Amino acid sequence: MKRSYTKFLTITVAISLSLLIFIVPYAASIEYSLRGNFGKGHDLTNYLWIFRQDGFLSHLTLSLELGLFAGLLNLLIMVPTTTFLHLSLQRYKPIVDFICILPLMIPVVSLAVGAEYAMPQAIQNSQSELIFFYVILALPFTFRVLDSSLSSIPLKTLVEASRSLGASWFATILRVIVPAAKGGISSAFFLSFALAIGEFTITSLLHWDTFTTWTVDISQQNVLGSIALSTFTFIFAVVLLVSIALFASRRKNKFQQIEETT
Amino acid sequence: MNQSNVASESTRTRKRVVSKGRYKFPFALIPFFIFVTFFLAWPISTVVIESFKSNSNKWTLSNYGPLFHGIYLHAFETSIRIGLITALFGVIIGGLFAFVIESYAGPRLTSILDSVAAVFANSGGVPLAFTFLASFGANAGLIKLLKSWGWDLYGSGFSIFSFTGICLVYIFFQAPLMVLIFKPALKGLRKEWKEASTSLGGSSWTYLRRIALPILFPSFVGSFLLLFAGGFSAYATARALTVGNIPLIPLIIGNLVDGNVIADKTHLGASLAIGAILIALIAMTGYIWAQRKSTQWRR
Repeated sequence: MKRSYTKFLTITVAISLSLLIFIVPYAASIEYSLRGNFGKGHDLTNYLWIFRQDGFLSHLTLSLELGLFAGLLNLLIMVPTTTFLHLSLQRYKPIVDFICILPLMIPVVSLAVGAEYAMPQAIQNSQSELIFFYVILALPFTFRVLDSSLSSIPLKTLVEASRSLGASWFATILRVIVPAAKGGISSAFFLSFALAIGEFTITSLLHWDTFTTWTVDISQQNVLGSIALSTFTFIFAVVLLVSIALFASRRKNKFQQIEETT
Repeated sequence: MNQSNVASESTRTRKRVVSKGRYKFPFALIPFFIFVTFFLAWPISTVVIESFKSNSNKWTLSNYGPLFHGIYLHAFETSIRIGLITALFGVIIGGLFAFVIESYAGPRLTSILDSVAAVFANSGGVPLAFTFLASFGANAGLIKLLKSWGWDLYGSGFSIFSFTGICLVYIFFQAPLMVLIFKPALKGLRKEWKEASTSLGGSSWTYLRRIALPILFPSFVGSFLLLFAGGFSAYATARALTVGNIPLIPLIIGNLVDGNVIADKTHLGASLAIGAILIALIAMTGYIWAQRKSTQWRR
């Protein structure tokens, strides 16, 4: 009896606290972004304003493109790496773990300075240099996600079965591991995708213009418009990641069921 | 009891067999190491080298002189202060959230809250800055509402562009990040420990004070240091919010290498960047120590 009372109290306090701290500012910014011209009434003026800006579509496409490639490159490097770390190369896991936490610790500005000094001109002249640095910046998150996702499936059994049936390593990864760890792999992809789209520091210091840096530029003309844009981006990201999470949790349940029946 | 002993025995022997196995060159890790060397190790080591060079390309220590006095020292102090303050609040608020989610939320709600936290933690950039401009700016509905209730924030000296304002904004990506990194530690607390404590006559408070908190302490320290590093080096939010009125190390480095200033100061940018990395490395050493301590109980 006493227990359920404390539980109720804790939940109430926690919910009201999070409401106060997190929902209120975002609700306020939604309200602000809906304000009409000259502060009169509420309408969609600011949201419509964004779409009419020059460069909206081109910057958005560029960002989506960079995000897509960053996500794919990340998987291309990290899925095999993490797989082998779980199988025969376990002793290298601490090293890889250490390297993957570095981008979280090293100030991004410092990395940007280094990139400007070190990268050969051929790479610096192409926008694709951003993709590589986005992958580096996403490593801490993607490694964690892939690592825990691969621990939750019977990886060793799957690989042994696939290999003993004569599949190559390539086929094993692509046709056994990827479908099995679909949830973790898709959230790793979307994490690096989201990071690439929102990245500002390296992009602006290397003098490139993506959707995010463009947002800052146009904010000098119309703050309300930028606020609308930010609000929109935020809501979009929440909806995307929550639906992925729901999808992933369903996948996980399926595997747990299989494990229970065997 | 017996069974778990047997299980741990068998994993131990298996581990021994694996580690005794002959040395294999990790061919599978080559792509990863090449990538990381080229795009992480190489740029950072170039900064190190450049920071020791003068404009005439000779070895020198003179780039490090300005770090220890004047505006640059002040900027380091401000950045460190902002890192410490926001990490402290982030750890407390985020830790509480993590605790409530971990103890009361079901699996589905947990995974939803996890991804919401991930969005909040990663939106620490330009969108966050604009959101706060909207909710705490002088014209924001919230501020007006508080004013109509008789609490004039801006009248009493608050501004979103001030040191306090920046701290406030940073906490909104620090606390969710704390939720993400602290939850695994909470998951490591075993139910059996609580049961053992209760059956030995301990109250909830005894359990919290003498078992849970000591076990979680290293994780707290580690998370604090990780958040500190993040707050210390955050660039985008500060860049979008401030107009150069608050000296922060990331902003100064950005300005120096952005080409806005005279070319002979780029080496100073490199030495400042190294200074920032060193501070982050101190935090990181502590983090690794704390990580090792905190996994001690989970083997």
